[in-house]
Amino acid sequence: MRVFRELMWFFRQHRRRYVTGIVFLGLTSLMGLIPPAIVGMVVNRVVRHQVTPQFLVWSLSAIFVVAVLSYGFRYLWRTRLYGGAILLGTELRDRLFEHFTTLSPDFYHAHRIGDLMAHATNDVQAIQETAGDGVFMMVDAVISGVVVIATMAIAISWPLTIVALLPLPFLAVIMAYYGRLLHERFTTAQAAFSDINDRVQEYISGIRVVRAFGQEAAEREAFVALSREVVEKNVAVARIDALFDPTIAVIAGLSYFLAVAVGAWFVVRGALTLGSLTAFTLYLGQLIWPMMAFGFVFNIVERGSASYDRVKQLLDTEATVQERPQAREIPPRGDLRYQIPHFYYPGQATPALQRIHLAVREGWTLGIVGRTGAGKTTLFRLLLREFDLQDGDISLGGESIYQYRLDALRSVIGYAPQDPFLFSLSIRDNIAFRDPDADDEAIVRVAKLAAIHDEILLLPEGYATMIGERGMTLSGGQKQRISLARALLGDPPILALDDTLSSVDGQTEAEILQHLRRARENRTTLIASHRLSAVEHADEIIVLEGGGIVEQGTHRQLLALGGRYRDMYERQQLERLVEQGGQAHGS
Amino acid sequence: MALDSVGGDPSASGRVLVPRGTFWRLLRYLLPRWPRLIVALGALGAATAADVLQPIMVKIFLDRYLIPRHFPRGPLIALALGYVGLIGLTALFAAVQLLLFEVLALDVVQRLRVDLFDTIQRLPLAYFDRTPVGVLVSRVTNDTEAILEMFMSVLAAFIQNVALLMGVILAMLALDARLALVMLILFPVFGAIMWLYQRVSSPLFYLARHRLSLLNAKLNESLQGMALIQHMRQVVRWREDFHAINDAYRAVRYRNTQVNGVLLRPLTEVVYLLTLMAVLAYFGTHSLTAAVNIGVLYAFVSYLSRFFEPVNNILQRLNSYQQAMVSAARVFHILDDRGSRPMPVGADHPKIIAGEVRFEDVSFAYDGEHDVLRHVSFTVKSGQTVALVGHTGSGKSTAMNLLLRFYPLDRGRIIIDGHDLRTFDEEELRQKIALVLQEPFLFVGDVASNIRLGTKSLDEAAVHRAAHLVQLDRFLSQWPLGYRTPVGERGATLSTGQRQLISFARAMARDPVILVLDEATASVDTETEAAIQRALANMRQGRTTIIIAHRLSTIQDADIILVFHRGEVVERGTHQELLRRKGLYHAMYQLQSGERTATPPASV
Repeated sequence: MRVFRELMWFFRQHRRRYVTGIVFLGLTSLMGLIPPAIVGMVVNRVVRHQVTPQFLVWSLSAIFVVAVLSYGFRYLWRTRLYGGAILLGTELRDRLFEHFTTLSPDFYHAHRIGDLMAHATNDVQAIQETAGDGVFMMVDAVISGVVVIATMAIAISWPLTIVALLPLPFLAVIMAYYGRLLHERFTTAQAAFSDINDRVQEYISGIRVVRAFGQEAAEREAFVALSREVVEKNVAVARIDALFDPTIAVIAGLSYFLAVAVGAWFVVRGALTLGSLTAFTLYLGQLIWPMMAFGFVFNIVERGSASYDRVKQLLDTEATVQERPQAREIPPRGDLRYQIPHFYYPGQATPALQRIHLAVREGWTLGIVGRTGAGKTTLFRLLLREFDLQDGDISLGGESIYQYRLDALRSVIGYAPQDPFLFSLSIRDNIAFRDPDADDEAIVRVAKLAAIHDEILLLPEGYATMIGERGMTLSGGQKQRISLARALLGDPPILALDDTLSSVDGQTEAEILQHLRRARENRTTLIASHRLSAVEHADEIIVLEGGGIVEQGTHRQLLALGGRYRDMYERQQLERLVEQGGQAHGS
Repeated sequence: MALDSVGGDPSASGRVLVPRGTFWRLLRYLLPRWPRLIVALGALGAATAADVLQPIMVKIFLDRYLIPRHFPRGPLIALALGYVGLIGLTALFAAVQLLLFEVLALDVVQRLRVDLFDTIQRLPLAYFDRTPVGVLVSRVTNDTEAILEMFMSVLAAFIQNVALLMGVILAMLALDARLALVMLILFPVFGAIMWLYQRVSSPLFYLARHRLSLLNAKLNESLQGMALIQHMRQVVRWREDFHAINDAYRAVRYRNTQVNGVLLRPLTEVVYLLTLMAVLAYFGTHSLTAAVNIGVLYAFVSYLSRFFEPVNNILQRLNSYQQAMVSAARVFHILDDRGSRPMPVGADHPKIIAGEVRFEDVSFAYDGEHDVLRHVSFTVKSGQTVALVGHTGSGKSTAMNLLLRFYPLDRGRIIIDGHDLRTFDEEELRQKIALVLQEPFLFVGDVASNIRLGTKSLDEAAVHRAAHLVQLDRFLSQWPLGYRTPVGERGATLSTGQRQLISFARAMARDPVILVLDEATASVDTETEAAIQRALANMRQGRTTIIIAHRLSTIQDADIILVFHRGEVVERGTHQELLRRKGLYHAMYQLQSGERTATPPASV
């Protein structure tokens, strides 16, 4: 029940909703007491032949009033309590989302998106159930349990009440026991289900390998075995599930039996009327539910509190990248300077960067080349403050980037990452991502710079074409160019391109580079690339290897140096010729 | 195509067409299990009868013994024992039938899952090209789960509740036929409530699902693109967007709660009280003029409360019935797909021994319209290596896919050792031709299981030999767990190069006659790159090798180089021959002899 205490902040925040909800729920329970009492009176009068038309009209009107009132009360408590649970779920999702937006990339490396999704959906759902069904069942079980038992004991006969109630505690105990078993077995069944899910996922993703190696029979065997296991685990659940109703029936039946048998004896002795006995058995029927509810509440709350712990843990995670207290609001300008003795990614033993001493004059273009893993992307991520340096500094215009607000720093950098991630929006909105209010003219301008404008116009709905999962599928090269246009929008003082043109063909790349040279005149541009053609015209080129700068200079100087850069250059020329060898003949 | 109306995500449109007869088609899955079904129905009948008899016994007690104050010991004890026995029997039969129905449901759904799996095994690769993995997985697991839910709760509850209703009505008829007939009026009332609830709630239900899927999509996308959202300073805007979607979902859920509050339990509770009023009025007015049987009154009142439970149960499950029908329609849509992978033709059962591969005027279009291969002909002699070069989309991969018989050949012929590719048995083809993909696909398990796959005949020695051949054992010996080193989802725990070596070993363990491989372009660390080069050289020894080559060293080593461009082979020959020809030769010569120019010669 600890989870109820932990959720107090929410219940307090919605005090009126919960108080009125509980009041209406209590009133509903009270209303439920009246019809059996009336039935009892009718039976008594019928037995004694004392029924009068007035009495009939009175008693029927009373039931009618109860029907109308309890309809209203039921509606009200349901919308209060279940509505409250929905509000809680909504609020938790909002909080989680808000919190997710503050977390740094290292968090996203440590967690799988599927798991985060599961927290935001399944866990929130479980908490919502605790706040809805959990609260309702607990309150209802207490109120109606107490009210019904009190009525039976006071209004009818307390000795009979005790006798009739004798079997009921067993029901609550057995229900809680079944509940625990059910939960355990259900968890294993869920695990089996998730196994088969993973297996099918793997099978379909690897269908080419499965077929190429003729593994169909083995895969089928594994699948059938897994699906059998799912059945087995679920049959284990069903074994318990199938016991619920019969157990209730047995206990309730025994309770009835005792009530009727002992009650009859009371009737014979004159301690009870027949009508009261009838009413008594009807009340007894109303007690089964609270007893069951106690059993259920236990399980719902257990699940809810485990989920709440997980959600809270997420909400308590702090972002690793934090702003300095007196950080400046104005955007930085000027020469870019890296002074990095070492940089290690969290938890890594080898440095991602070392001995980087680099100055890029404002307005210059810097080319960065090197193999995958040489540290190209890290240079950008540090500039964008995805990670913070442990040692050394990065400065803009002589001032450390750590002296600026994140917002101010990021406002001066246009970034096109290696993976051209686009959102499920229209092409226009994707390009205008940094500035949703940008006018069409500006958007078309950057699209032209990125050599994608003409292709966009060929699409069915032009700039309004939706992309992403529910829209148009674009080629890798198209995505990269849209990502480039997005980075170019608003002429950012610093443009950082991380292997942005890798899937664009050579001719288009040359065209884009030419556009960039003109558009980026006097603006700092950083271009990291596998392909040397992208950096040939840079004012300065650095060659990274193992996180350090091994060569530095202009294209001409580096070729003359005859080192790594030249090696790469020659190899790429050859490979390109072989790959495109047919081009000259084909057309 | 039609896939989108049923196969696509229903939440996108909010509604899905469920063909008529879907429900009956599902029920037909029960037929083969008729013996168990009959036992279950029998147990259900017995449980219901025993249940319904209980109030009648109380009535007998009231009328015959309590009211006349007549207490003969023997009959009373018999009655009491009978009552307790009846309680026990009710519980026993009820437990049996509940379990049997659940097991039946589980069996049916397992059958359905295996049928789906078999269909997926049969479908041509083209199907997988156009259907996202997630959608197919969801058909096999989530949709069948929704059907299971239907069988377990809806169908079982429906049968059980209808049985109970019938039992109650029979008992009522026996007690007081006139009153029982009047009670039948309740059925149209329930029907009306169901109809109304269905009308009002089903659009809300679909809307809620639709909004939930939007919410999940937004969340998923935001988590994937979070770094970008932060860089581009759109956090506030994104939060507002999410909040709006979240709130829209809240609104529809709240609306749903309101509808449930108006139409579900609260309403049936009112109907119950009104019925109770009618019963009391009936007995009350009767008692004004005649004597009333109290036992009957008691029994009626207690039946009345049982009467309403089934109705509440069925009402609450209407939504999952609808969901299950949508899921069933999607599942049947896949089962009804007529498409099939290429199957062997003729009864020759030819064998691949030498490994000579010949393409004869092969043209191919995936979509039947746009040719991606045009009149391709070439021959690879036994033991030769052919390098396919050309840029992305030039047709090299298609040629490879056709050789592996992944797609049916429409024009031209592919001949292996003198026999048409179409005539080979699936098994022969898969045993003698091994494939290595550019992106090595690893399965969850360990290194050994990834080399062996499901082929049980491969013993440990064969696995070790293959690992040695591709130099994988040098890495394995450094890992504490060696061949038992676990491989995570898609081999995420290993480096690209290591994954590639494992997929090499997988291919070599089968000692193929023909090796087909798509050379990895991703740059790997120096250590593994050297190992991969040596492995490649070893692997080619003594077998026909068809390789999509990217690295110069691989291309140079090939016996024949085929240059693909726009689906055609535009140049062919050995490295030397190609160099001698004016095409590539000139440029390469220039580069190698040191006259470096920044611009590649455009008009060679």
